Amino acid sequence: MQVAHAPWWLGALVVVGTLAVGSYAVAALHELLATAVAGGGVRVGEGVAAPWRRAALLLRQERTRTEAPDPITWALAPALYGGLAALALTVVPLSSTFAVADFRTGIVVWGAAEALAIVAIFLHGWSPNSLFPLVGAYRFVALALSYELLSMFVLIAAALPAESLQLTDIVAAQHGLWNVVRQPLGLPLFLVVSLGVTFWGPLDLADSSDLAGGTSAEASGGQRLSWQLARCAMLFSFAAMGATAFLGGPLGPWLPGPLWLLTKTVVVLVILVGLGHVVGRVPPERFVAVGWGLLLPLAFLDLLVAGLEALP
Amino acid sequence: MSAFLVDLAFWVFAVGAVWTGYRVFRTDSMVRASFLLLASLVNVGAIMLLLSAEYLGFALIFMMALEMMVMALFMVMFMMNPAGLNPMVMVHQNRLSAVAGFAAFLGLSAVGVLADFPDRPVPEPVGVVARLGEELLGDSMLVFESVGVLLLATMIGAVALSSQRGRYGAADEGSEPPPMVPREGGAR
Repeated sequence: MQVAHAPWWLGALVVVGTLAVGSYAVAALHELLATAVAGGGVRVGEGVAAPWRRAALLLRQERTRTEAPDPITWALAPALYGGLAALALTVVPLSSTFAVADFRTGIVVWGAAEALAIVAIFLHGWSPNSLFPLVGAYRFVALALSYELLSMFVLIAAALPAESLQLTDIVAAQHGLWNVVRQPLGLPLFLVVSLGVTFWGPLDLADSSDLAGGTSAEASGGQRLSWQLARCAMLFSFAAMGATAFLGGPLGPWLPGPLWLLTKTVVVLVILVGLGHVVGRVPPERFVAVGWGLLLPLAFLDLLVAGLEALP
Repeated sequence: MSAFLVDLAFWVFAVGAVWTGYRVFRTDSMVRASFLLLASLVNVGAIMLLLSAEYLGFALIFMMALEMMVMALFMVMFMMNPAGLNPMVMVHQNRLSAVAGFAAFLGLSAVGVLADFPDRPVPEPVGVVARLGEELLGDSMLVFESVGVLLLATMIGAVALSSQRGRYGAADEGSEPPPMVPREGGAR
């Protein structure tokens, strides 16, 4: 598919700008929905101000020191995780003809970013040389295989009707019918993956309270702020990908493409963040049983449905 | 991208690959060694991208990220070195290994520099991924698919076997309290 090319600095600006606004939006949405779910109504002013207040508080906090950490890795892990969120977002088509980096193998690029994100989370827990962060890191890696398999199966299923790994093709193939209708299992499974890789809400098993904060138990101040920021950025990238692969991305009548993508991304974000507030934390042992016993067969079924439909 | 930028990127990634590869043998921790090796392979993947081998380059990064992650985990488990942060010597037969390593590096580099490689520009924009797919899945579809399904079945089987309930029942269920009277034959 022939697509428009932009100069590299414009692409970088678009990605960094979108992620900066996006991760702030995720943090604000988190506050807004918390109030709304608790029955306090929609208090926009409070939700908009809360992330800034929390950031200011963290920036004034003293930095925790541990015994013999790996300081470089510890400092760089949030940057790696946030950078991977940006890499992942580059392949998402912003309009039906333009993505910042429209690789022919966009789905594989996304998969590589997901796989390296697992490394980033492990390193974030490993490098402080402390008990609970390490337990969180190990636990996350043990669970990550379940997420990674699910993710690949549902994304390959989404690529099947397009007969291409390129995301602009995958969007184009949804012109008549969105993948969410064609493959009804795809989006719910992808939402599980999103919560898993960003360890959000029910699947917050890496930084969970039963591990006294898990991989970020020793992180404070700017360190913790950058980690939270990177995590919000990753959730935003996942929501954008969910909207692209299953909800037709920039496709839609009347409005311009980017606006449609933004609307759909916000819808997916509301679902993800809302689930995070409503559903309790899943015990990790039970998630492994459900993941391999139920979700993986469902992903196979999803792939089978997509395959049968793609047959001429 | 202009030819100069491609050349520059090649040299950056090439030096990066060799330097991180060398650091694998100079570090004192299992985890650092694993991820330095990963860094080296990511640099190699980037060079493959420069060669227009888009799919292979990204697939290499993708696979190696997971592979090195699992390797680090297992090495730490087997080495009884909590977290791999305690410094430890991880090399032996230093002289022999160094000589063998440098000989292999020089030999492979000589092949890379001296051999007569085909010099055909890749036809743009179609073809590379599709051709690779035909190469892999055309005549060898049966082998490829059987091995793929076999590996997946092995993986699921391994997880099923290892997730069997342990001595004290399933991990998330309440366990039986120990009896007040000692069991016959002492502790189990």
